[in-house]
Amino acid sequence: MNKNKHLLLWSSLGALCLLVGAAVQENFLKEWRGIQASIQTDAGPADVRLRQIVAPKLGVTDRCVTCHVGMAPGEQEGSGHPLAAAHGPVGHDPAEFGCTVCHGGQGRATEKADAHGDVRFWPAPMIPTRYAYAGCGSCHTHIRVPGQSELERGRSLLERYDCLACHRVDGRGGTLRPGGVGGMEGPDLSQAGARGFDTRWHEKHLQFAGQPDKAGWQDAFTDIDTAERDSIEAFLTSRVGAPRLVDAKARFHSLGCRGCHKIGGIGGDDGPDLSRVGQRDPGQLDFTHVRGEHTLANWLSEHTRDPARVVSGSKMPKFGLSDDDVDLLTYYMLSLRRSDLPEAYWPKDRIQASRFGQREFSTDGATLFGTFCAACHGDAGQGRRFPGSPPMPAVGNADFLAAARDGFLESTIWLGRPGRRMPAFGEDAGGLRREEVQAIIAHLRREAGVKEPDRLHPLPRWASGDPDRGRSLYDRHCAGCHGARGEGTDAPALNHPLLQATASDDYFVETIRRGRRGTPMEGFGQPSTIHPVLALGDIESIVAYLRTWEKRQ
Amino acid sequence: MSTTAPENSPLRRFLHNLLQSPWHVRDAALRSGLPTTDRTRSNFVFGNVFLHLHSVRTHRWSLRWSTTWGLGLAATAAFLIALVSGVLLMFYYKPYPEAAYDSIKDIHFVVPTGRFIRNIHRWSANVMVVAVLLHMARAFYTAAYRKPREFNWLIGMGLLVVTLGLSFTGYLLPWDQLAYWAITIGANIAQSPREVTDAVGITETFDPGGLQRELLLGSDIVGEEALIRFYVLHVMLLPLALVSLLAVHFWRIRKDGGMTRPSDADQRLAPKADVYPVFTEAPQKTYQLAAIVKGASPAVGRGPENTVPSMPHLFYAELGVLMLTVLVCLALSMISDAPLKELANPSVPENPAKAPWYFLGLQELVAYSAFMGGVGIPMIVVIGLGLIPFLDREEAETGAWFGGPGGLRLVARSAVFGLASVLGIEAFAIRFGWLREWFPEIPQLVITAVNPGTLLAAIYAAYSLWIVRRYGSARAGALALFTCFLCGFVVLTVIGTHFRGPNWTFYWSPADWPRH
Repeated sequence: MNKNKHLLLWSSLGALCLLVGAAVQENFLKEWRGIQASIQTDAGPADVRLRQIVAPKLGVTDRCVTCHVGMAPGEQEGSGHPLAAAHGPVGHDPAEFGCTVCHGGQGRATEKADAHGDVRFWPAPMIPTRYAYAGCGSCHTHIRVPGQSELERGRSLLERYDCLACHRVDGRGGTLRPGGVGGMEGPDLSQAGARGFDTRWHEKHLQFAGQPDKAGWQDAFTDIDTAERDSIEAFLTSRVGAPRLVDAKARFHSLGCRGCHKIGGIGGDDGPDLSRVGQRDPGQLDFTHVRGEHTLANWLSEHTRDPARVVSGSKMPKFGLSDDDVDLLTYYMLSLRRSDLPEAYWPKDRIQASRFGQREFSTDGATLFGTFCAACHGDAGQGRRFPGSPPMPAVGNADFLAAARDGFLESTIWLGRPGRRMPAFGEDAGGLRREEVQAIIAHLRREAGVKEPDRLHPLPRWASGDPDRGRSLYDRHCAGCHGARGEGTDAPALNHPLLQATASDDYFVETIRRGRRGTPMEGFGQPSTIHPVLALGDIESIVAYLRTWEKRQ
Repeated sequence: MSTTAPENSPLRRFLHNLLQSPWHVRDAALRSGLPTTDRTRSNFVFGNVFLHLHSVRTHRWSLRWSTTWGLGLAATAAFLIALVSGVLLMFYYKPYPEAAYDSIKDIHFVVPTGRFIRNIHRWSANVMVVAVLLHMARAFYTAAYRKPREFNWLIGMGLLVVTLGLSFTGYLLPWDQLAYWAITIGANIAQSPREVTDAVGITETFDPGGLQRELLLGSDIVGEEALIRFYVLHVMLLPLALVSLLAVHFWRIRKDGGMTRPSDADQRLAPKADVYPVFTEAPQKTYQLAAIVKGASPAVGRGPENTVPSMPHLFYAELGVLMLTVLVCLALSMISDAPLKELANPSVPENPAKAPWYFLGLQELVAYSAFMGGVGIPMIVVIGLGLIPFLDREEAETGAWFGGPGGLRLVARSAVFGLASVLGIEAFAIRFGWLREWFPEIPQLVITAVNPGTLLAAIYAAYSLWIVRRYGSARAGALALFTCFLCGFVVLTVIGTHFRGPNWTFYWSPADWPRH
C-alpha cells in the first residue's frame, strides 16, 4: 500500500505544480499584461484588461489593441511604452473597421507572433509596414490610374506651373509665401482623388488672378491649355493619399502585365489570374528556390525578378527589371486583395469598377498600350524577343502601320492568335471595349506618325499569281524564319487561320514589298545585299501561295 | 435558574438540532457512520452506489503493480480527464462551420487557460486510446479473457470501438484543414464497400458504402450537417454509450471474481502481517445466501482469505493511477500544443490528407484496397479478437503473463515473424508496386482479394494455424496471432504516420517531401 500512497502523493504534487505553473503563466506571464501595466495615461495607469474591436458585419474580432493600447477605441494616448502611441491620422475609424481588414494578421490572437501571422497555418499574415498601403486593396480599386508616363507628365506639370507654391501634394510644397507670409494658401491636394475636386478649378483660378485685390495672384497663375489640364486632372484624380501605391499601380500598368494576367476579369489569359494574388497563403507557396524570408512579399519580388528560378518551367519571361521596379510591382500585387466584405462596406471606387464598368486604369491610348501590350511588344512597340519563344512583332513599326489597316489591327487585338501567345482581348475574352482597342491603335499611329493607309485595291483578295512559283520563292526567301509551312518558328505564323481570315492581300503585298525596317524582315521591293528585288508579280505569287494554306484549313 | 431539561424545552431542542444538523446530514449521507474501521469501511463501500462497483475486499494479487500495470484504470482516468476538460470546452465551442474554428481560436487566445484545457483534452484522448490498446494487450497476454470473463472481453472490445469513435468524432470539431481532410478520408473509407459493389456493378441498386457515408455526413460533403452529427455523437451519444459499457465492464469484473490471478497466487504471495482471515472477526454479514447459490459465481465455496479491504488499499491504488494519468496529461499539455491548422477549405486539399494516427495503419491498407483496408481487414480483426475467448477454452496458466504453451519464447518468435512479414510485404509493395502497376487492366476485384493487407492477414492466419498444430493448443495459436496483429498494427501505423508523403508516396523523412 505504501507504494500506492507514494504514487498518489507524488503524482498529486506534480499535478499541482503544473496547475500552479499554468495559472501563473496565464495570469502573470502574458506579454500583453506587461505592456499594459507599463502604460501611463493622463488619468493614471492604464487598466490591465483584454481590449478588442468587434465588428460582426465585417467578421472582425480584433484584439490587436490589447497590445497596441493607444489605438483602442476610446483610449487615450499614453506613455511609458512604444505601443501606447495612437494610430496615425487615417480616413477610416479603427473602431468601426478594426485592424485586420486593412493590415491583415490574426485579429483573434493575443500573442505577438500569432497576431502578426508569423506562424504556420495562418494564411493571411500582416502586410509588411513598408507596403502598408497595399491593405487599401482589400476594399478599394483606385480607378482611372494613368500609366507611368501620363502620371509623370501630370506630376511635372504641377511642378512646372508652380502649383506647389500654394498647394501641398504628398507632403511636398505649400511652403513658399508671397511676401514671406507663413501658412498655406491653397488646400492640400494629397487626397484630391478620393475627396473630389472642383472641375471648374481652372476658371476659378483665372478669375482670382484677374482680381486686383488678390495679392500675389496676378503673376502666380497663368492659363493652362486643355491637354495639360487633362494631364493635371488625371494626376489629381490619382491622389488618394497612397502615393507609393499609385506609383506602383502606374508602373504595373506601364509594363504590360495585363497582357498575360487577368485582374478583375480584364487582361490576357496566358498567365495566372492576379485578382487576389495579394491574399495568397505563404504557407502554400514553394520557397525552395527563393532567397530570403518566407513571406508573400519576398516570394512575389523574387518571382518577378526571375520567374523561372522560383517556379520551374514558368513561361513568364525574365524582364530584367530594376530593383525599384520589382519593389513597385510587389507593392501593387500585394494590394490585389479584394476581400469578400459585405457590399454595404464597399467604397465608391470598387462599386464603380465592379458594378458600373468603370476602369481601374486610364483609358487613354498610351496607358492602354502600357497596360496590355508593352510587356511583349515593347514599351514603344519596337517588338521583343524572349528565349524559347518566337519574337513578338514590332507593332509600333512605321512600315507595319503603313501596311496594316485599322480594321485588321482591331480584329487582331480583338481575336488574338489562338495557339500563339497573343491572347484575345475582345470584350468576352480579355475584356477590352471597341473604343479602347481603337484608342490603342490611334496611340500606335500617333507615336509612329503613320496614318491609316489607303486601299491599293477595292477587293481584299486580288493578288493573282502562280502558287507554285510562289512556293519556290517562299522556300528560298521566307521559310527560314516563317517556317516551311508558315508555322512561324522564328517570325509571325503566316498559316494562322485568323491571320489568313483578317489580313488583306494589300497587307501581305505591302509587307513583303516594304519589309519592316529595324526588324529582320527585309523589304523585297528594294535592292538588298542578301536577296534580289522581287517584281510585283513575284510578290503576288508568294501571296497566292500563302493563300493556299487557308484553303487547306 | 430553569430546571427544565433541554429535551423538555422546545426552543433548546430546536437550537440543539440546528447546531447538530451538519453532523446529522453527514450521518444520513454515510448511512453507517464514518469509515474508520475495516467494518465501517466495508459498509461504506457497500452502501455507496459508485463504490459498490468494487467488491468490498480486494485480493492482494490484484494490487500487485505487475498484475495490470493499472492500464484499465489509466484508460478510465484519461476518460474522466477528457470528460471534465471536454465539458469546460463545451461552454465555449460553437458547432457550426467557421464559428467552430473561431471559437477554438478564442479558446486558444482569450479563454483563461483555454489553450491548456484544450491541450489536456486532446492529450487525454490520445492517452486513452493508447491505454485502451495496452489494456487489451495486457488482458490478452495474461489470458484474462478466459472463462468466466469471456463476456467482459467482448464488452472491452465494444469499449475499444467506442473509444476510437469518440476520438474520431472529436477530430472534426475544430473545423480546420487537418480535421476537414481527415474526416473526408474517414468518410471515404466508410464508402469503401463501393469498391466491391462497383466491381460487381450493383452500386445503382445496392449501395451500402454510399449509405454509410451519407449516414455519417448527413450530406454529400463534409459540411455543417456532418459537423453537428459529429458533435452530437461526440458530446452525447458516444459518452453515454461509453459510460454504460464502462459500468457493465466494472460490474462484471466484480461479478467475475476480480482480477484474474494464477491458481497458485495465494502460495506465491508472501504472508502479510495485517491480512487476517475475515471469518474470525465474526462478521455481521452472513454468507448463507452465497452458500446456497449454485453455479458459476466465483465467490461460492471460497472464503475471502488473502484479501484486504478495498478501502483504503484499492482506493489508494486507483487514486494513484488517476493522479499519475492527470500528471502525464498535464505534462504533455505543457510541452505540446494541440494542432490547429488553417480554416477548413474544401477547395484546398491537404496532401497528404491523413486520418487520425490510430487509423493510419488502416489508411496504409486503404491505399491498396479501400474496401479491404476500410472494411474487410477491420472486420476480420474484430471478429478474430471476439472469437479468442471462445476458441481458447484452456485453463492452464490463466493470469500469468504470456501464460500458455510456448510462453514468452513463442511471443518473441511470433513478434520476429510478424515484423518480418509486414516489413517484407510493405518493402516489396513500396519498392516494386502492386498488381495495378504491373497489369493496368486487371479487374479491381482481383486487387480487392489480393493486396498487401489480405496477403498479410493470410500469412498471419496460416502461421497461427501452424502454431496451433505444432503446440496442440489454441492458446499458442492465439498468442502467435495476437502478437503478429500487434506488430502489423504498429508497423503499418508508423509507416502511415511518418513515411508517407504527398500522394501517399513513400519518403524516408517529411523533409524530403516535394513542395507542391
